[in-house]
Amino acid sequence: MPPFKDEHILIIAPGSQVTLAQLGLPESFTPARFRFPTRMFPAEKKGEFEPYKIRERRPGGKPSNGTKAPKEDVEMKDAELSAPQGTNAAPKPENGPQEAKGEPADGQETNGETRQEVQEIFYEEDVTSDEGAIYPLENGRIADWQCFFALLTHVYNTLSPPFHTPIMLIAQPAWSARDREAITQFVFEKFKTPAFCMMDSALAVCYGYGTSTATVVDVGKGKVDVTAVTDFLVNEHGRGIALEGCGGDYMTDRLQELLRSKGFSREMCEQLKRSNITEILPVGTPLPGTAATARQNTNSAASASTGRPEKGSKDAVPGNSGDDTPTGPGGANGEEDDEGVLDVAAIVSGNTSEFLANREKEKAEKSSTKKSSTDQSGKPVRLPNSKKEKASFQFEEYVRLQSEKDVANVPGRYIRHTREIEVGVERFLSTTQKQKPGDRLSSNIFEDIATQIHHTILAVPDASKRSELWDSLVVVGNGSKIKGFTQALLNTITQKFVLSPSATIFTSEIPSNFSTPMPTGGTNTPAPGQSGPLYNTPGHGVNPLLVAATHSNNPASGNMPPGTPSMDPSMASHYRSTGHSQTPTSVKTLKPPEYFPEWKEHSNSNAPGTSGSAGLSNGPNAGPGGPGAPSGGHGMEEVVFLGAQVASKVVFVIDQGLSKGFMSRVEYNENGPSAIHEYAM
Amino acid sequence: MNPSIPPSTAEYGGDEVSAIVLDPGFSTTRAGFAGEDTPKSLIPTYYGKYTSEGQEKLIFSDDVFVTPRPGLSVHNPMGRDGIVEDWDMAEKVWEYSFTSRLTGPKPGNPFQNGLNDVVDGELPTEMEGVEIEEKPLADSPLLMSECGWNPTKAREKTIEIAMEKWGTPAFYLARNGVLAAFASGKASALVVDVGASSISVTPVHDGMILKRGVQHSPLGGDYISSQIRALFKINTPQPITITPHYLVYSKTAVDAGQPSQAKYKSIPPEKAPDASYRTLLEERTLSEFKECVVQVWPGPNKLSATSPSGSLNEEVAKSSPGRPFEFPDGYNQVFGLDRYRVVESLFDAKAAIPDSESPFPPPTQAQTVPELIKNALNGVDVDIRPHLLANVVVTGASSLLHGFTDRLNQELMQTYPGPRVRISAPGNTAERKFGSWIGGSILASLGTFHQMWISKKEYEEHGPTIVEKRCK
Repeated sequence: MPPFKDEHILIIAPGSQVTLAQLGLPESFTPARFRFPTRMFPAEKKGEFEPYKIRERRPGGKPSNGTKAPKEDVEMKDAELSAPQGTNAAPKPENGPQEAKGEPADGQETNGETRQEVQEIFYEEDVTSDEGAIYPLENGRIADWQCFFALLTHVYNTLSPPFHTPIMLIAQPAWSARDREAITQFVFEKFKTPAFCMMDSALAVCYGYGTSTATVVDVGKGKVDVTAVTDFLVNEHGRGIALEGCGGDYMTDRLQELLRSKGFSREMCEQLKRSNITEILPVGTPLPGTAATARQNTNSAASASTGRPEKGSKDAVPGNSGDDTPTGPGGANGEEDDEGVLDVAAIVSGNTSEFLANREKEKAEKSSTKKSSTDQSGKPVRLPNSKKEKASFQFEEYVRLQSEKDVANVPGRYIRHTREIEVGVERFLSTTQKQKPGDRLSSNIFEDIATQIHHTILAVPDASKRSELWDSLVVVGNGSKIKGFTQALLNTITQKFVLSPSATIFTSEIPSNFSTPMPTGGTNTPAPGQSGPLYNTPGHGVNPLLVAATHSNNPASGNMPPGTPSMDPSMASHYRSTGHSQTPTSVKTLKPPEYFPEWKEHSNSNAPGTSGSAGLSNGPNAGPGGPGAPSGGHGMEEVVFLGAQVASKVVFVIDQGLSKGFMSRVEYNENGPSAIHEYAM
Repeated sequence: MNPSIPPSTAEYGGDEVSAIVLDPGFSTTRAGFAGEDTPKSLIPTYYGKYTSEGQEKLIFSDDVFVTPRPGLSVHNPMGRDGIVEDWDMAEKVWEYSFTSRLTGPKPGNPFQNGLNDVVDGELPTEMEGVEIEEKPLADSPLLMSECGWNPTKAREKTIEIAMEKWGTPAFYLARNGVLAAFASGKASALVVDVGASSISVTPVHDGMILKRGVQHSPLGGDYISSQIRALFKINTPQPITITPHYLVYSKTAVDAGQPSQAKYKSIPPEKAPDASYRTLLEERTLSEFKECVVQVWPGPNKLSATSPSGSLNEEVAKSSPGRPFEFPDGYNQVFGLDRYRVVESLFDAKAAIPDSESPFPPPTQAQTVPELIKNALNGVDVDIRPHLLANVVVTGASSLLHGFTDRLNQELMQTYPGPRVRISAPGNTAERKFGSWIGGSILASLGTFHQMWISKKEYEEHGPTIVEKRCK
């Protein structure tokens, strides 16, 4: 088979929330070029799916939500406003069977829209809600096969690779053997790919980190996977697969629980969680504002830094869909409301950009005057987030362009709207125990994850690897993005599991006939006399004698009574093979690789583009054509994708199948889908 | 290949399905596809049960160990003798072992799984009903293992579940002793299987067990745990209680032998898991203890005897460096001679540490490993004894105890000085743990094995009794 080219490799990494995809390997590996929300909407025909929510619009329908008016952020306007001028020119997804017949508007109908018989029916893309969406992956498991295949097809069609395209698919740990076979069959028969590689996500992370041995903790949306990888081999036994209720959703739920009384919606909590003011403080750090003295200080600092006049109310109550007083940034309430009323007629009549530009200008002027006034009031001391009692984050939502009277023929248009919402110390409590902990007795999610890691590493059959596994923890997944997550996890492990090598044990107990220590432990002990690399001595500064005693893998003479008849060498070697010591003596995370500059940039993205509900509307070019521009703001949490690129390069381009890295079409035709297990990495 | 030319439309038309090998044990249940080198699925045979919001919930798999839940109790469908006691739950646990990682909960409806083009209107509505009744193993033959003393009734029940509940197209039931021999590449062997609940010695000749020679005793891994508990009770400087991780909030480093200063978690009594849960998690710590500390006195002679050179074995053992162990609550201690004592009773019944509260009665000499082997050999034909002794296969996870095979070797050489004694024990941990599964994997993937399967048709014709005739 001719070699594959870099630019022809298709990589797909499905996750419960976002599916990453890319066609071709760039010179220097970059974060995934395409991010598809992992969800589809039921199409008009049963059993078919659409990537976008298409809603039927009927005249007389009231806008269901978002009664607040748009503000400055009108990134979407070109895409959104140009299209609907003509009749029936709704944004139409380019793929999937597209019959523009009357599609029942899922969800929206029930929203109390008055149904009326009308002559003309419009279709519009509903960007504001993902109601009715089907998420084919639930906690990594494939919940809806048809939908999952529809998603794969959508990804494939959007990237539209040429025929000679090998496919690399990242497999979720939760997929069973039969699942993998079904996917293999689908990929070969539907996409007619010449070569297919299915790679375990934990292994991909190891490729990304350039390490052969690691404990991969993948914090996803609703679950956590804990995998011990030794020598590029995934240890299936004891693997923590889809530990439920430990992922990002837990934190959102918890935030919502804390903030519900303050009128926070789930979407707000979701964005709060993604914002950079949400942190997990180290244990023992007092929450800011708990001390009475600190209170005043931080209060003023916080409010001043956001440039907002102090409010009477204790906590800012964010305006919930405009039903109560909105507290927008940079403006008092009255002005905000004023701005809310947009003259839609003016927009519709055509001069939209001009109109909006004018409004922008006005607003800018207003806010600048305001800012200057606060600036004069004195420079506040800038405190780090963890010291502030309150902080605010940018909340983005879609707001419908509203018309006072129902304009029958105008499809609803939406505008991205940003406002600032202030939160108190709740933002530090996202991982604490819920009020209703359900069926769990553990005190927080870190305890669950730490216990799982302990269990997983203890289940690794090669005991000599365990110490190394503890020292090469890799925490990935977007759920772990929240500041302080990894540190908090390490702290929990240290607190609960790390052993205390109290030096007194060793000094008092080491017998006199104890000869030169051999600080190598476990099964892989090299032949006697060959002092192997000190791979079992983690660099935690313990003296070698101590390590030797801990590992107690003494030269045979230490254990054997003098005069014992020497056994044959094979016996001797396996006599030693079972001796090893307790772990962990230390726990560390691996350093991420630094040779891919694009991956190094960490940033916290708060845009709804990263969330499932509005993932496709990331920019002006995010029309029906595709899922937006190359996304920024995703760092090493998605290292699985970096690993997928590295592995693709190795498997498809360098190795070219010599070491059975991928399954070729010929092999598929001969052996069928079950042969994927021989290739699955 | 030109990227713009569509590939040929030739498609796979075969229907090769590899068999599933299920090896149920007392402590763990192993399942995987035949032909692979380790079972893909390894779950504890223990399952958890608790009530949440008025509903009874069952927990399978490792989650039992990881997440404590209110009122969680732990059960095992297997009896200590390796024979199923609770068939309903055994079926569920076994089913979970292969559905979770291998086959998936149920095969999808072929019309709706996206692999077939469905012509408009060709989807009959009755298909929905059919799909629900689809059985989990409808397209995989199943090879199961059993212990050598499994009664006929249990064997018939097993095939009944496989055929009727799981709908497997072909079935075979093999003795795990035979499978372990196959795993070492032998058709004739004396298989010493040290499991969690029992030790068994099975003479295998030409791929058949010699039933009269099969011996078993309850001195398995759990018995060793009970010995360790007995040791902890009389431990100096203070008795040790094991506090499992789930009860510890955080621990503080303390010096060896000093009382623990851990902070404990407070679980309200109405939410506390059942005592059986705590016992199970204590076993986790004990198995870590067994891995890291416990060692079998390598011999020669018993621990309490003198060595050939005249020195007391105990003295020698004492002088070897101790091994430290830290408990979940931070208490740590170095174990010297004691780490040999806890397993000595596998070879010398008199050495057992007495414990009146232990669920295990004090062992008799006949239950020790050397005696079991002796009795097993006495139960078989004189002619094949030397052959068996030359092929002693050691398997089972508890045989991984440090020094076990050395001691066994010493004991056998003393008892049978004449014939050539050869122990074969794989050094690879996985091969030792999954010996009988691996044998099953080899067996089920052999081309010649195909004629051995009991097909669904044969089962329907003869009923469950066919298993006695075909699986000898």
